[in-house]
Amino acid sequence: MASEVIHTAGAHAEAHEEGHHELPARVDPDVALSELVATTEANGSAVRTWAWILGILSLVGIVSFGVKVGIEWGDQAKWGYTAAIVAFLFSAFGGAPLVAIAPMIAKANWVRPVARFAQLCSLVSIVISIWMIPLILNLPMLIVDGARRRSIWFEGPDVSPHIWAVVALTTLIISSVGLIWAYGMPDFAVMRDHGTGWKQRFGNWAARGWIGSTVQWRTMRMRIGMMGTLYFFTFVFIHFMLSTDFAMSLVPGWRDAIFPMYHAISSIQAGLAVTVIGIWAARKYLGLEKYLHLDQFWSIGRLMFAFTLLWGYFFISAFIVFWYGRSGSDQMWIDFLILGPYFWVFIGAVLLIWFTPWWWLIWNKVRRSYNGTAIGAGLILAGVFLDRVRLYVAAWSVPEERIHERFLTEYPGTVYPDVMDILIMVGAVAASVLLVILATRVLPILSVWDVQQFNLLYRPVDYMKTKVSLIGKPD
Amino acid sequence: MSKSVLGLYDDANQAADAMDALKAAGFPLGTFDVLTGTPYPEGAFGEHVPQHRLFRFPAFGAIIGFTLALFLTTATQIAYPLVTGGKPILSLFAMLVILYEMSMLSAVISTVVGIVIESRLPNVNPGVYDPRITEGLIGVVITTEDDQADTAIAALNGAGAMEIKQA
Repeated sequence: MASEVIHTAGAHAEAHEEGHHELPARVDPDVALSELVATTEANGSAVRTWAWILGILSLVGIVSFGVKVGIEWGDQAKWGYTAAIVAFLFSAFGGAPLVAIAPMIAKANWVRPVARFAQLCSLVSIVISIWMIPLILNLPMLIVDGARRRSIWFEGPDVSPHIWAVVALTTLIISSVGLIWAYGMPDFAVMRDHGTGWKQRFGNWAARGWIGSTVQWRTMRMRIGMMGTLYFFTFVFIHFMLSTDFAMSLVPGWRDAIFPMYHAISSIQAGLAVTVIGIWAARKYLGLEKYLHLDQFWSIGRLMFAFTLLWGYFFISAFIVFWYGRSGSDQMWIDFLILGPYFWVFIGAVLLIWFTPWWWLIWNKVRRSYNGTAIGAGLILAGVFLDRVRLYVAAWSVPEERIHERFLTEYPGTVYPDVMDILIMVGAVAASVLLVILATRVLPILSVWDVQQFNLLYRPVDYMKTKVSLIGKPD
Repeated sequence: MSKSVLGLYDDANQAADAMDALKAAGFPLGTFDVLTGTPYPEGAFGEHVPQHRLFRFPAFGAIIGFTLALFLTTATQIAYPLVTGGKPILSLFAMLVILYEMSMLSAVISTVVGIVIESRLPNVNPGVYDPRITEGLIGVVITTEDDQADTAIAALNGAGAMEIKQA
């Protein structure tokens, strides 16, 4: 053990005095193992009921999807809500693994019980890829009516955005599954050793002969680092691709260098929110109070607060250029995407992504509570959804024949979702949640090995007149 | 004929003692190892930590990528010379982007290959193992010749093994 740190001082000690923050108790390895493996079978009937409900909703979504393809194929304006839900799902579930990756790289101890759930969220890349198919096929070619439309693919082949979207999504799926597998291998071995039936057989296959030797632990760390890095690069690239090819380039005159960053920042904010809601539900419905402490909620709550403020910074950074630019295209951006047909959606988004969470999460008492942090997370998710609706429905509503205009002078009216849009959106969310729930039936929702290492390296100790966490941090 | 012997311990300090005992009994480093259900800090048991060669893969990959990029940018510009903005045909700033991108791409791909090789997965012959290791027991495993198995067992028992398994 290279060093030992006292993980407290001001904040912890103060919180402890106020009685808000009890230090977590250590859990014996065999107890942690049996309780966490049991979560893969816990609430069997309730989970089955929910799985059926979500499964039916997913199926309804897929059927609506097929019907929409049949009757509205080729009408770009009709696919705005599908684009919005894809962008929302990628923003929310795609951003969650970063909650695990970044603190793990920084060797934060609080992230251990959270990392598995955050990584499992990346499985939603499978749903995203399916829902992306009609968007990719409906995206205009680079040459429209004999002229090249404006895009980031200056000299690229006609189908560059389509091809790169497929490449990016394939890489996303590979890096998602790779990250889950790299991090989950010891827990697949746990399922092999202590699971039953098909879960045991699957664990045996996925563990690839894992026995926990020195070399295996060491190479596992390398694999996690590598897959985490690959996921991060893919995450950034897909935000760039979604925001430019599937939104910005569809609106003549919309040029915003900050938009891809804004997209990624709000995605990390939504990823934090999804993680909070996931661990809140796991704590409440799977009885994991012993493993999910206030420390996790408090830490993510602070990050969520920071990213809420960052949203404001990035939005204003983009807005101020258009506000002072005053050219025709600058004015178009303000009139079409803010004051125009989606004005109330924009107001809702600003209130829910930024203003309300800001004045909600600003209070220490809120961030130090399980429910308070979860409410803040729910607000942010609703806000990010509205924001994606504002951006993507507006972008997809611009008719293809106007794509060569210097900038839009007449704005398409508000596009409201029809029944199929609503079913497709509900189906996409249901399929995403179902996928994560099913994954937690194969792998414990909290990583057994990481929770055990937390217990191995952690001691609650008396320090003068207070109690502190003593945490070993190996190199 | 080689044999795999596993000693199981419920106390990490006893497992560390077993590792010392095996060393003292003259077994060469690399023939015995510790098996755990959670990663202990490296060297906690006094185990032999083999040097990995992963760093060679990105370094080698980056050199290959850089060389290819240099060839590509030079050859294409010489084969199709277009003076742009009055700059030289072989302009370093224009080439830098491609050199950087191809070096990085090649380094990343070769690192992925390197991790697959270094991981030595799947482990088709894991040797003797006990599922209780994932419950928190610590295993000390040694692979040795038949005639030295008794010495190994004695060393493992001497450190307080709660159970010995052989395969």
